Amino acid sequence: MVKTAISILTFLCCTLCRGQTDSVPLQKRQSYNFKLSYNSSIIYPGMSIGTEFFLQNKDIQVQRKSGKTKTFTRSRLISGNVNWYHHPEFHDNLYFTAEYVMRQTNSLGLIKEFIFGPGFSRTFLGGTTYKVNNSGEVSIVRNAGYNYALITIGGGIGVDLSVKYDLPLIAIANLNMISMFPFNSTIYFRPVLELGIHTNPFMWRR
Amino acid sequence: MRKIFTISLILLLTGCQKEKITVSGHASEAFYVENAGASMRVLVQGNTDSKTFILIIHGGPGAGAFFYDTDDITNNIGDKYALVYWDQRNAGASQGTSNGRNLHLSQMVDDLKKVIEVIKYRYGQDISLFLLGHSFGGMIASDFITTADYQYMIRGLIDVDGSHNYPLNDTLTRQKLLSIGQYEISKNRHASDWRPIVEYCLSHKGNFSFEESQQIETYGAEAENYIDSVKHVNMVSKILRYAISDKYPLTAMLINLLYSEDSDFNKELAVTQFSTSLTKVTIPVLVLWGEYDFICPTTLGKDFYNRISSVNKKMAISPVSGHNMIIQDKEFFIEQINSFVDVYR
Repeated sequence: MVKTAISILTFLCCTLCRGQTDSVPLQKRQSYNFKLSYNSSIIYPGMSIGTEFFLQNKDIQVQRKSGKTKTFTRSRLISGNVNWYHHPEFHDNLYFTAEYVMRQTNSLGLIKEFIFGPGFSRTFLGGTTYKVNNSGEVSIVRNAGYNYALITIGGGIGVDLSVKYDLPLIAIANLNMISMFPFNSTIYFRPVLELGIHTNPFMWRR
Repeated sequence: MRKIFTISLILLLTGCQKEKITVSGHASEAFYVENAGASMRVLVQGNTDSKTFILIIHGGPGAGAFFYDTDDITNNIGDKYALVYWDQRNAGASQGTSNGRNLHLSQMVDDLKKVIEVIKYRYGQDISLFLLGHSFGGMIASDFITTADYQYMIRGLIDVDGSHNYPLNDTLTRQKLLSIGQYEISKNRHASDWRPIVEYCLSHKGNFSFEESQQIETYGAEAENYIDSVKHVNMVSKILRYAISDKYPLTAMLINLLYSEDSDFNKELAVTQFSTSLTKVTIPVLVLWGEYDFICPTTLGKDFYNRISSVNKKMAISPVSGHNMIIQDKEFFIEQINSFVDVYR
């Protein structure tokens, strides 16, 4: 666990420091966004909140064979999220993720992105949990559940409304796969559908 | 935002694990029993007011108890008695971290004992409790009832296509595959499917290695599909039918099954037998078997039946069932269970 935490911190530190150097193209539109999502594990409800920080925003023009020019923005972000889903009678999962996001936005504002990152999960079992000692005495275990290391990987599509409508709002749908380990001495996989909005409330004032 | 987060966290921590004990004709409640690194899910459904509980010990290892919970069972047994679906460690919805080292038969027997103690803690020490072991669940049940005086914790045992002796099981499966396979080939029924099975059995006569034992079991599972009178079990349609209503944690069920199937635990099981200790058993026992069960042949059930010392014992064989009587001959299964429990509860 300590090794994982040090690795995450080192990764964050390195990427943020890089964001301060001149070697990165300086066409930043905004430095961060807040995220709010419905974080469903397909049919079971959940929620996700977080913040994403822009490390890089780069406008790219590509000349096509037809002679037309394709313009898009390539962004690199890092985000920190608190997520939760509720699977009745199985568990509630509260998990924290630090994600690296590779996002591409075209001239119409359509987004495609890929995300991955490490995390930490704390589950709470979906029912009263009992323990029996060797004398046969039964007691209730409070806040029963487990801690797991977690990795999330996924991708999605969305739309950046600031491109066409000057609204600092992104609507996005991601399908992620979270893997938690060691779960019963193996790895637990769970698909998670994230439907969310990203915005910076301070930019609405302008 | 901070307040909302704090309130949500408090609700989450306090809201999910309130003790709920329902005594009614239509109870449905899940709880967990924590033991040796595993939190095992237990679902109690049906008539808890009857104070009669049937605890199902599922097969596998690793299969999970979800598949035993069907509308037919709920409506025709659960209306009279309470059904207890226990997910063994590393199976179904059971959870834990690095607990694979505890996956042993003796640990599962200890788990079962603790599950029974929790059921009695919740619903009263005076309840009547029956064990129903299916397939590998029969092995846990055999170990349980022959350990110390554990058999007196329950009113009776129902052994449904269960195994109590894996080496004998392999020998009897081979014999049955060979005799029925040769007969079916002579009648030209599914001859091309039977031929490789018969050839394998002819070339492997006994003293089976672990791999050979697994191959014989695989052929045993396959063989009942080649008997036209046996109803085929379609697990996919069952999952589609119940996955949402019964809140299946599908990926957990799958990875638990894969882990348990591939575990070294199976090598331990391959040489395990309780034939010699079954004479200790004196409680009422019902032995239910499918005529076309090749995984645990009828002769294995007869061995179990003949070895126990119980005065009150009965063996019944379904003429149209394979290894999964609960699905393949549900009317027969329901009738036998209800009449046995009604007498001895």
